[in-house]
Amino acid sequence: MSLTTALARLLIFPGLLFAVPAAWFFLWVERKAVALMQGRIGPPFMQPFYDFIKLLGKDVPVREGIGGLLMKAWPLLAVSSAAGAVALLPVLPAQGGFQGDLILLLALLEVPSMCIIAAGFSSRSIFGEIGSAREAVLSVSYNIVFLLAILSIAVSQHTFRLEALAGLPATPLRWLGVAALLACLPAKLHINPFSLPNAEQEIYAGPMTEYAGHELAMWELAHGLEWVAATGLVATLAAPRFALWWLAALAFVALSFAVVLLLAVLASATARLAIDTTVRFYWHCTLIFAVLAISSALIMRFRS
Amino acid sequence: MSYRIPMGPFHPGLEEPYKLEMICTGETVTDAKLHIGFNFRGIEHLAETRNYIQVIALMERVCGICSNIHTLTLCQAMERLTNLTPPPRAQYIRVIVAELERLHSHVLWAGIAAKLMGFKTMFMTCFEIREKVMDVLQAISGNRVNYAMNRIGGVNRDIEDPASILKMLEALEREMLRTIIPIFTTSTTARSRCAGVGVLTAAKAASVGVVGPMARASGLSQDLRRAAPYAAYEEMEFDVPVQTEGDVRARLLVRALEIMESCKILRQALGKLPPGEIFVPVEKYAFITGTATSRAEAPRGEVMYSVSWREGSRNPARVHVRTPTYANMPAVRWMVQGARLADTPLIQASIDPCYSCTDR
Repeated sequence: MSLTTALARLLIFPGLLFAVPAAWFFLWVERKAVALMQGRIGPPFMQPFYDFIKLLGKDVPVREGIGGLLMKAWPLLAVSSAAGAVALLPVLPAQGGFQGDLILLLALLEVPSMCIIAAGFSSRSIFGEIGSAREAVLSVSYNIVFLLAILSIAVSQHTFRLEALAGLPATPLRWLGVAALLACLPAKLHINPFSLPNAEQEIYAGPMTEYAGHELAMWELAHGLEWVAATGLVATLAAPRFALWWLAALAFVALSFAVVLLLAVLASATARLAIDTTVRFYWHCTLIFAVLAISSALIMRFRS
Repeated sequence: MSYRIPMGPFHPGLEEPYKLEMICTGETVTDAKLHIGFNFRGIEHLAETRNYIQVIALMERVCGICSNIHTLTLCQAMERLTNLTPPPRAQYIRVIVAELERLHSHVLWAGIAAKLMGFKTMFMTCFEIREKVMDVLQAISGNRVNYAMNRIGGVNRDIEDPASILKMLEALEREMLRTIIPIFTTSTTARSRCAGVGVLTAAKAASVGVVGPMARASGLSQDLRRAAPYAAYEEMEFDVPVQTEGDVRARLLVRALEIMESCKILRQALGKLPPGEIFVPVEKYAFITGTATSRAEAPRGEVMYSVSWREGSRNPARVHVRTPTYANMPAVRWMVQGARLADTPLIQASIDPCYSCTDR
């Protein structure tokens, strides 16, 4: 991939220019779907965009010293890494990519979560610190499953290149991996039943408690981009391949949309679990599931 | 390392301003302190400056949820001071409004509990059903929050068409049986968040002196509607649900079963509504000097009024209220000790607190 293509992918498609409206759209879909299931009207189509603009116009408290600087830096880092993750997704076929871009994508997907943890501790708020501690525990729990699921798919299909992976036919093991990924998404996106770091009835907004104005707007944007990247990853692995580029793009968007809807249904049909129940869930059930997947992937690899 | 975490006075998990200050080690709460008084309005003092008509309207505003039970208890106390006995039809109407109020209060609480578990869909469902209960109350009284039903020696409005109210009630009962009761009793989510959480043993409940559904969920069978019947409760057949576990789930169950018992009482009262006057026609109320007390079973437990009067005066000399939350709130400290931080909003809410009544 040349520098120009890389920049075009990062800034235009599927990067920022595409991903930012997509992030607002997905946030709207999630909010609207949850609202409709709860018998509410829900927000108008442009609401996430209005929220963003409104937050940009608000004042931010002046924070002195390195703590203040860090608090400014974390949301920016989260936005850029989430946008980078989206840019790596092979939405259109034959776009390039490189060997190992899957690993980079996983790393970039993890950065926003680490920024949230750091932001909560930087804010020095008790609610932020508890939220960060919860995010850290949650991240350790679901990430093992998340990484193992992706590794099992990559190992079984002999490639760490996303586009090649997307082009290969789906195996039963791949579906197992996709299911494990889906189980991790609610925790990754902080929605019910794993909305622990931002459990408003317990710790207000958790790590985001001290944030306001354009900094909070950046967090909202990073969250939206995470939605696009995470659902896009699942869509990449699950979407059928089409020769026609527009059909492929359509399948990608439709699948992402379906994943968002699925997550919205889950969020509205469940209560929030406590942290120990959540950790137990990921360590007991899904870990076994993912270990099964990776061991069968290894067996498949040695056999072939 | 232990740290202090304040919950409130303004918090998304609380309906009203009060503060629970918790001392935590990790995610475990080791101790807690409850601070109230953020909603003090000096109502008891104001009552002394109001005449016998105005004081009823004033005391109706002590609570925004159980407004009727306050006027009912106050009117019962004032009836003792004026030697008036409400006619049977008025007694029945008082029971009907009190039970409808219990229904909407319990459903509201179910919604709040669901919200505290992070289950907002259930919260919306509960509030949708509560609206229907309030529609029934509006059909009877013309009001949705402050019904202005009680007066000295009777009630202000008649129920002219009990059959239509009965029809509304049946629809309501079907809805409750379909949604709220199963969520309360069989839902695994509710069970996982509530079973074994915030336990208050029978011995502790008795020593702290809790009342109402709190006491009944800890195995103490007490209900004023049964123990000291007022209005027309003596003529109603109903059970007093009691659970022995003493945890949040037991409190959920007790309230769910009480919803069904309330429906039972309502059906009887509407079916047997006796004919006659709805209040004692008096030209001038003759208060005697003295203090009268009256108790009633509010949705949250026993509420007590002590009203003092001087003969010839239009205003009460003193109106004192003891609300059920005042009796229940010390239990919060014992219930949250050793609990997970994530469970504390639910535990403190399981007493169905009404600090606005308590602060007055």
